[in-house]
This record gives sequence, structure tokens and C-alpha cells, in this order.
Amino acid sequence: MNFDYFMSMLIPMLEGVKATVLLFVLAIVLSIPLGFMLTLAVRSSMKPISFLAQTYIYIMRGTPLLLQLLFFVFGLPLLPVIGEFLVLDRFVAATLAFILNYAAYFAEIFRGGLLSIDKGQYEASQVLGLSKWQTTTRVILPQMFRVTLPPIANESVSLVKDTALLYAVAVPELLHYAQTVVNRDFTIIPFFIAAGIYLLIAFALTIVFKYLERKLQYD
Amino acid sequence: MSFIEVRNLKKSFGPLEVLKDLTFNVEKNDVLAIIGPSGSGKSTMLRSLIQLEEVEGGSIAVDGDHLVKDGFYAKPADSKKIIAKMGMVFQQFNLFPHLTVKQNLELAPKLVKKEQAKEYSDRSIELLEKVGLADKRDEFPSRLSGGQKQRVAIARALMMNPDILLFDEPTSALDPQLTKEVLQVMKKLAEEHMTMIVVTHEMEFASNVANRVIFMDKGLIVEEGNPQEVLKSPKELRTKQFLNY
Repeated sequence: MNFDYFMSMLIPMLEGVKATVLLFVLAIVLSIPLGFMLTLAVRSSMKPISFLAQTYIYIMRGTPLLLQLLFFVFGLPLLPVIGEFLVLDRFVAATLAFILNYAAYFAEIFRGGLLSIDKGQYEASQVLGLSKWQTTTRVILPQMFRVTLPPIANESVSLVKDTALLYAVAVPELLHYAQTVVNRDFTIIPFFIAAGIYLLIAFALTIVFKYLERKLQYD
Repeated sequence: MSFIEVRNLKKSFGPLEVLKDLTFNVEKNDVLAIIGPSGSGKSTMLRSLIQLEEVEGGSIAVDGDHLVKDGFYAKPADSKKIIAKMGMVFQQFNLFPHLTVKQNLELAPKLVKKEQAKEYSDRSIELLEKVGLADKRDEFPSRLSGGQKQRVAIARALMMNPDILLFDEPTSALDPQLTKEVLQVMKKLAEEHMTMIVVTHEMEFASNVANRVIFMDKGLIVEEGNPQEVLKSPKELRTKQFLNY
């Protein structure tokens, strides 16, 4: 196999990498804050809000991501009455499904992180006169973030691989292009190339998270 | 008028009455030791003074201002001002683990009092020298011994210039050697006429440093007076039993 042929497989696949990475970035950047808001909702003293948030998390974690993807991409437009207003670009609809699904997982991760913080931290902040907002942003969140980094890293790597589910809703991404070349040239090399690219992304993520962990080390 | 006036304080946890009608005063420059068996309500009483616990009845006045009057709390803006006159030191230190020693001291002056950097930085160094930990200023709390942590916690409370310091069993998590270094700092504060209320099991501290002692049992003040009276010649049977007379 010569270099030119290799590049003829790789270059279309790089087109797919763009979609994969774009989905990953959008999903992670939007689902983390949404997940944190969900955690706050779960912990809210207002019962209906807490109940709604818990139900939401239960549904999103209890049904397959693939089903949710199919629902957002093909199901929404079929809804009676409002369906015709919900015809979204397939990539947009799929991204929405990823954000909403991963937010539920992040919410549970953050909830665990908050549970790990001693109530003495709140009491010390209170007697020093810190406001609720100052306590949350300056005392609680930095500690929560440190505790939740490893599970967040874990979810991030899962997310990279889950982007391949776009294949099922016909949004072209890395795996889609690999499969196309496999069919065209009757070779399995593109699968190995795709695997290599997923591993590269996962590797980069691992480096980033290891760096963050070191940076936030305090014990 | 006393600096702190507590009248008929009442509190329950469900059916359990933990504070039954407590009344006492604390004068400026007092070092008041609160002693008594576990579950006597000492810590709950102390925590009520700074609103970490809400009481159901009675009054607490600090420097003439009511934090609670007949079971009704002051407005949050007012209670905030009243609480700002008090500092608290916990049994479990409760330092902020993600901040260095110096940052622990400076967080509240910076955020709450909006002080200039030079002002709080100078004072934090001064207070760390006072508790003998200036060389640890850039360490994280996890690198300190328990005694060092507690001394940092005392310095952190002092950063807010409180009129009174409340200590909730400050040495109960420490071995005797570490207890000694914390008690030395507290003794120094007493000599500088810091007003303090100390919930403690350290009888030696109560008798040597405190000028008043309150013995509590089952949510009641059983006996109070100077350390000589209460610790050396207690009148009440329960005090005698507790002190093994």
C-alpha cells in the first residue's frame, strides 16, 4: 500500500473526524453546566422541582442513548401538532440528544461530588460571613470539581466513543466515512485507521485530565 | 449590660429536648469554660450563639443587639452583623483543603470585608507568626498536623477581628502533645484579654485559664462559678460525680 492510497482513505475520514470532534465538544461544553444545574434542582428544597429533576435523570439514564437519538432525529417531527415545528437539522437534533443524555450522568457525578464535601465546610464559611454564593463558588465548587474530575474524565472518554452512534441516524462522522471506504475498496484498513483516531482522541483527553488533576492537587 | 446575654434558651431535636431553659451571661474579657458529659447540650448551646443551630425559644443578645428575642430571629441583614462579632473554632478544624494556609486566612477578609490585599496580607502574616506557623503559610492543610491545623483555624477566626471567640471542643481530636500547643495559643489569647467561650474536656485549661466555669448536664446549667468553686469544691451531686469526687 503506497502513501497516496493511504491518504485517499484518510482524507475523507478526517472530514468525519470534524463532525465527531464538533459533537464531542458541543456535548461536553453544554452538558456539564446543564448537569450541574440538574444537581442543584435535585437538591432544591422545592419538592416539585426536585421531583422533576429526579424523574428526568431516571428517564435519561434508564433508556438507551440510541433510542433517544432516534427519537430526537426521527421521532420529534412525527409528534402530533408540534411535530412540524421540530424538524431540526439531523446533526443538531443528535447533538441535543447527546447533551440531554450526558447532562443526566454528569448530574449524578456532581451530586456524588457534593455529598463528599463535609458539612463543616459550609459551617466554617457561614461563621466567617461568606454569602451562599461565595460559599458555593469559592469553597464548595473547587472541592467538588477536584473530586469529580476522574469520573468526568471517564464520561468524556465514553462520549468520544458514543459519537459513533451518529452512524445509526445517518449523520456522517468518523465511523461513517470509515465504513464508506471499507465498502468502496473492500478493505478493513479504514476500521483500523478509525480505531487509531478514536484512541488518539482518548489519549489526548487522558493527558488533559491528568494535567487538570495535577493542577488541582491539594493533598 | 453583659456582652452576651442568654435568656431561657430552648431547643429540641424532635422529641429530645437538648436545651432546657438556659440562662447565663458572658462579660467582656471573660474566659468561660463549659464542661459536662457528652450529650449535655454544650456544643448545641455554643452553636446556637452563632446561629449554626436554630433555637425554638428564649433570647440571645450580643453587645446589646438581639440575635433571637423570645424565639424570634432578627432579620438576616441584622443577624449577619451580630454574627460578625463572633468567631468560631471547630473540633474538626474545618479548614478549606483546597486553599493554602495563607489563603485560608485571607478568604473571608477579602470576600466579606472587601479589604485591600496589603491589609489582609500583612495581618495574615502577623497572625501566623502569633500562632507560630509563619513558615507554613504556603502549605496546604493536608500537610499540617492536627495541632497546626487548629492553630491555623484560630488565626483564621482572628482575621475577622471578632469581639469573642467560640471554641467547640478545640482539642478533642488531638493527642496530648498537640493539645498542649493549641492550649498555649488559647492561653496567650486569654492573657491578651480576648473574650472566649470554650466547650472543653480539658479540666486543666478550665481551672488554669478560665475565669468562669459552667457545668451542664441534660440540657441544663447545673452549676456555675469561678473555677475554684466549680472544679475544686462543687456543690451539686452531678458535678461531683462528673469530676469524680
